Amino acid sequence: MTTYIIKRILLMIPTLFFISCIIFFVLNLAPGRPGGGAVSAEGTQDSTSAEARESYRIFKEQFNFDKPAFFNTRYALTRGEVEGLLVTLADFNKPTCEDGKPEGCIPADQKPTSGSIIEAQDTVEDWGEYIVPHLIAIARDGDRLDVRIIAVNRLTVNAKQRLINEYNKKQSPEDRKRNQEISAENELLGSYRVAVDASKEDVDKVVNEKWVPWFETNAERWNWTFGDKMGILFGDTRFAKYWSNLIKLDFGVSHVDKRPVLEKIKERVPYTLTLNFLAVFLAYLLSIPLGVWSAYRQNSLADKIVTVALFMLYSLPSFFIGVLLLEAFAVGDPFAWFPTGEFVGKFPDWFQTDAANTDQMTTLEYMLSVGYHLTLPVFCMTYGALASLSRYARSGILDVIRADYIRTARAKGLSEPMVVIKHAVRNGMIPVLTLLGTMLPALIGGSVVIEYVFNIPGMGLFMFESIFARDYNAIMGVLLISTVLTLIGLLISDISYAVVDPRISFD
Amino acid sequence: MTEEVEKTPEELEEIRKKADLQYKTYSEIVWVQFKKYPQSYYSLYGVFALFVIAILAPVFSLNVPFFINVPAGVGPENMQGMHFPWLAALFDANFFEGGLDIFFNWLLFALPGAFVIYKVMVRTKTFANPREEKAFIGRYLGWAALGVFASFLAIYMFDFRQAYVDYVQLSQLDGVSSLFPPLQYSYRDVDLNAVIQDPSWQHWLGTDQQGRDVFARILYGTRISLTIGVVAVAIYTAIGLVLGGLAGYFGGRVDMLVMRLIEVMICFPTFFLILTLRGFIDDPSIFHIMVLIGITGWTRIARLVRGEFLRLKNQDFVQAAIALGLTKRKIIFRHLMPNALGPVFVAATFGVAGAILIEASLSFLGLGPATAPSWGQILTAGRQTGKIVLILAPGLAIFITVSLLNLMGEGIRDALDPKLRK
Repeated sequence: MTTYIIKRILLMIPTLFFISCIIFFVLNLAPGRPGGGAVSAEGTQDSTSAEARESYRIFKEQFNFDKPAFFNTRYALTRGEVEGLLVTLADFNKPTCEDGKPEGCIPADQKPTSGSIIEAQDTVEDWGEYIVPHLIAIARDGDRLDVRIIAVNRLTVNAKQRLINEYNKKQSPEDRKRNQEISAENELLGSYRVAVDASKEDVDKVVNEKWVPWFETNAERWNWTFGDKMGILFGDTRFAKYWSNLIKLDFGVSHVDKRPVLEKIKERVPYTLTLNFLAVFLAYLLSIPLGVWSAYRQNSLADKIVTVALFMLYSLPSFFIGVLLLEAFAVGDPFAWFPTGEFVGKFPDWFQTDAANTDQMTTLEYMLSVGYHLTLPVFCMTYGALASLSRYARSGILDVIRADYIRTARAKGLSEPMVVIKHAVRNGMIPVLTLLGTMLPALIGGSVVIEYVFNIPGMGLFMFESIFARDYNAIMGVLLISTVLTLIGLLISDISYAVVDPRISFD
Repeated sequence: MTEEVEKTPEELEEIRKKADLQYKTYSEIVWVQFKKYPQSYYSLYGVFALFVIAILAPVFSLNVPFFINVPAGVGPENMQGMHFPWLAALFDANFFEGGLDIFFNWLLFALPGAFVIYKVMVRTKTFANPREEKAFIGRYLGWAALGVFASFLAIYMFDFRQAYVDYVQLSQLDGVSSLFPPLQYSYRDVDLNAVIQDPSWQHWLGTDQQGRDVFARILYGTRISLTIGVVAVAIYTAIGLVLGGLAGYFGGRVDMLVMRLIEVMICFPTFFLILTLRGFIDDPSIFHIMVLIGITGWTRIARLVRGEFLRLKNQDFVQAAIALGLTKRKIIFRHLMPNALGPVFVAATFGVAGAILIEASLSFLGLGPATAPSWGQILTAGRQTGKIVLILAPGLAIFITVSLLNLMGEGIRDALDPKLRK
């Protein structure tokens, strides 16, 4: 048994690997960039405002969107490629040719579209420090003055070094010291810019006095050996960053409030688990006796009524019943017996307590309050599971009830309860138990709707909110954690299968 | 030596007919079994009725009259005389914005048309025996479905559009005679003067926050639910059949690959996965929702088909087919697939109910198609307004549809495998 469990846990590793690969593919290759909603409001749409551009660039950097998905070949970029983009940017700033504007104008049909300009700007930003040598070269001896000016101003952004561990609140003293140095240098580089309408002499002066000396002292940063290039090719990509973060169990920060995703999920898992555990527990607790009872009265009126009732419950959507119950028993039309939402905090009217908030509650009071809040949601989640489980339980009992060993058990004089509990139920419930594994993912996912209706701050509601906010890291985190929970659920169901059915041995 | 009796052609015909009468196809046996479960048998009629309701929706509820007669000197000049605007409105891409409604509107004419053609063809043709007739019906159904769909595509591509006319206002002018459908509302008819009303003779189920008639929306919502259910399940059944068939027939490495894929897929909570994928679509239409449900739901079917293929592959008739040297294609499509389809059909029937529920939940969460009159969306309106009618009406619509489909599925399951009957 132990070897089986160990084997299963080891088998979970490749499965998890594939799952995280799929999540990566989905989040990175799906049309529409995650965070698109937040970005288009402040970034791409409004490419003219420098501040908006800068915040969009930081956003990309923070979530690794500036990196290519799988292979980073930016060390092999040529000056021509960079210059092409800069020329596009420069052309966009030129006036369009009209009758009165002969000098330095560009015909309307050659002028870049705003789409291509956004793309060019994005690409140059994404290439980051890899193109610094080319930018320096263009700034020094480019043909066109306006392209050189753009190259210089681009350098003030692209030459900046990234801070170490930037988004981690707990930095080591050495990191902090190094970061201070980097910021000082970045600030200095930021000041080496030229005006948009600067003359040739001004540009020459800034390039030759500021940029060229700086580049020569730092040139080894761009002298990549073969090993460095391989490191860049595979290491400086979204895929690699994703994996290195995963192994550190670092899901990044939520871009809604910049808090670590893991921390936010940790806050919410207990709510979901309480809700799901209660619902599954109650469903099993009620359905097995109900199934046995109705199997023992097969084809009687009671059995038929129970079967029909369970069938109807099975077809009732839980969100419909949830809204209905909320309206009827919580909102106050006609009754206001239950709270309208949340997980904990309120008490029934008849309950006397001194506790003003959750911190002051005793454990018993806390449990009572939770129970008071969860009655309706747990009911909604239980009845559907109850319906399908007791149908399985009923047919499970019917399968075994006519078996020889049941007759033997009766013949050797066992009491009827003993026959039922020890012989019939134990054998007939195996199919019901296997359902546990398949029910867990459905319950975690299914609780999105219930958590939404009853406003319980669990994983489901978090997922829902993250999708509305296009919170890339949060979605990834929730998906991964819930698949891990599902995997554990499947494992538990397999183990319980072996415990109940002695015929199954995994060794 | 006994003389062999020559049989006349008439006698031979007689014998063949007798044999045909005794011969029952598998589907006929299943049908006889299915009829033994009255609740499932009647639920089949119920599902059929739902489809009829979906097709007939514009006959019950549309803000365009069947005919309108504007006498000279009344109303705008270009509207004078006798008009039949209802017919034109059915195919108006401005009036019904999606292809879905136009498809159902087209069925309103295409299905009776196909039926009439069928009747005529049966009258004029003579069949040698019932089997030939059945084969003809099968062929006819296939061609008719293709024809209906092709003609719909032609209509849809034609993209007929006309200017909007407020016929309700026009009909209230003096001397104008008109005949409207019983409910003078379309599901998009916003009326800010009649917001959140209680049920009345005008609005049978009241109105929502934008003054849209809820009964009309429920009626047209039938189309959305049924289409999403059927198409989404068709998508994932197709994926499941292909992957499961490949895994079951070829085994070995293909099987291992497919099984790993299934294992990975079942670890995702399906609803979470659908929500995530939905997050990437800016403005989903119902076709997006169908595809989302389709690409996430195939694991069950694939596992079923694989199991069936593995079971069938070792049976004598398949071994015989292999020994006879039939091509792989023949073995898979003529011997394995038809025998594996039974359980798939059952799973698909339950799957339609499931897909309808998923779509309703998505719309309820506000993640469904924004303008479509989906039942889940009406339920959200009920939750926001607290009107019990707005909660009960869509909820019961979903409940009835889902339970009819589930009942039907149970009937088919028991009919396919009478041993399962408990």
